[in-house]
Amino acid sequence: MKTSVVGSRVTREDAWGKVFGQTKFPADVNLPGQLYAVVIRSPHPHARVLSINSDYALEMAGVVAVLSAKDVPHNAHGVLFRDQPVLAEYVRMVGDPVAVVGAETEEIAREAAKRVQVEYEVLPTVFDPEEAMKPDVLPLHPSLRPTNVLYHMPIRRGSMEEGWAKADVVIEKEYNTQHVDHAFLQPEAVLAYLDERGHLVVQTATQYAHYDRGEIAHALGLRFSQVQVKTLAVGGAFGGREDISLQVIAALMAWKTLRPVKMENTREESFYSHSKRHPMRMQYKTGATKDGKLVAMEAKIVGDSGAYASWSINVLRKAAVHATGPYVIPNVSIDSYAVFTNNPFSGAMRGFGAAQTVLAYESQMDLLAKEIGISPLEIRLRNIFKVGSTTATGQVLTSSVPLDQCLAKITPYLQRGGESE
Amino acid sequence: MIEIKLVVNEKPYTLNVEPSERLIDALRNRLGLLGTKEGCGEGECGACTIIMDGKTVNSCLVLAAQANGSVLTTIEGVGNRRSPHPVQKAFVEVGAVQCGFCTPGMVLSAKNLLDKNSHPSETEIGIAMSGNLCRCTGYDKILRAVKIAAEEGKQ
Repeated sequence: MKTSVVGSRVTREDAWGKVFGQTKFPADVNLPGQLYAVVIRSPHPHARVLSINSDYALEMAGVVAVLSAKDVPHNAHGVLFRDQPVLAEYVRMVGDPVAVVGAETEEIAREAAKRVQVEYEVLPTVFDPEEAMKPDVLPLHPSLRPTNVLYHMPIRRGSMEEGWAKADVVIEKEYNTQHVDHAFLQPEAVLAYLDERGHLVVQTATQYAHYDRGEIAHALGLRFSQVQVKTLAVGGAFGGREDISLQVIAALMAWKTLRPVKMENTREESFYSHSKRHPMRMQYKTGATKDGKLVAMEAKIVGDSGAYASWSINVLRKAAVHATGPYVIPNVSIDSYAVFTNNPFSGAMRGFGAAQTVLAYESQMDLLAKEIGISPLEIRLRNIFKVGSTTATGQVLTSSVPLDQCLAKITPYLQRGGESE
Repeated sequence: MIEIKLVVNEKPYTLNVEPSERLIDALRNRLGLLGTKEGCGEGECGACTIIMDGKTVNSCLVLAAQANGSVLTTIEGVGNRRSPHPVQKAFVEVGAVQCGFCTPGMVLSAKNLLDKNSHPSETEIGIAMSGNLCRCTGYDKILRAVKIAAEEGKQ
């Protein structure tokens, strides 16, 4: 099939505005009379807010309002479950927002934020997901789950007993990946205001304008039709703008003060206020015959959801589904878990759970090849998915599996020992 | 307040600035030149790159008062839709623009290189662009765009 678009070079519509510096990102929009708002974040990973004294902040000339949990009509948001507070009374991670200051200038707002005194009752913490998932550890979200195990995805295929019986070589290893921040180049920023209809307008960079609208409307107790979210240019996101960040807080300040409200994260605040890539602990046991055919694989994957659910269920599901890599294995047992801890919350990031397991399954392939005495290329050629292959979840692949072509293409490179021509 | 005189994009200005005011804030808030972006505020990312007296600087690390007597070029002073700078044209044609937040700084670093060295080697291009981060990781196309812009300049 010939089309006029696929296969032809198309200039991005937005590229010219960007090379001339004309494109508007959220920090580039302002309104006369706008307030600046700055968030006060918890320094503790697990705590109860006992009191907030904003008297010293409100004494400062130019400070208009200090808002906290009691000012939020419905104090919850979240993409899968509304388990995350807009302004926290109960803190589950370092960086949870507990109050917000609105002032005439950014300088005043930042100075006033330092003068807000928050008294915390510091609570015991759990940072290791395998520790957190034990049944006797206190759950961080008792209304959502009785333990810290948010999600368990088991995958079973074939018979493990038969699989291990056929294995001549077995490799058993543990792999760990770390937190990763998206570090999109444009820090979060918002302009929120009431328009001439009395509707709340929120201009921001988001991956989910319609979702943000629902979250803002819910938190403030408004109808959907009273909230409009306008997406400006998005300066990188990579999954990190799927969860809402400053939008509800800015909207709340605008609603309470009837003033336009501008918020801009510093880079440091940005690190505190959005999700991270899930760290995963992956225990793998993989068996092959002496001629390099995979016969069995067992994997336990524990993903650190951190303080809130965000997209953890979907991410750990995807990690499980991709746990064998693109290889045919007839006997498989996979258990994937998402677990709450007091770490920064984890969410969507490029690959959405499929990236972490690559470290484990590809390392296993290299180690098996070495043990059997064949090349890393050879062991892959003997096991890759082809049209007609069945995956661990029972899916029969019917089209678009060009892995053999991909390997054929890089074979000369691999045969040179990984050196460029 | 401190009075400073400076030339920005060939226009002279006299400004009263705070002693602690950063040059990026004077450009964005006082002159409305919003094409200069702030990505990190500590000189790591290069999104706030401008040309100051023939040198690229991170405008988040320069005080406005330090720019007294200087000649500055920001992205607003480079090219336009009728006659884009060869760097801007090459960025668009090659596909070196993704989210676009690093683009103004990238364009200024490339322009300043070509202003001084119309025949840069690949290594020289790499060094000139090394202060600008692209988190979309489009470096290959960005470097290719600078090379194409340099070749266009030679003709």
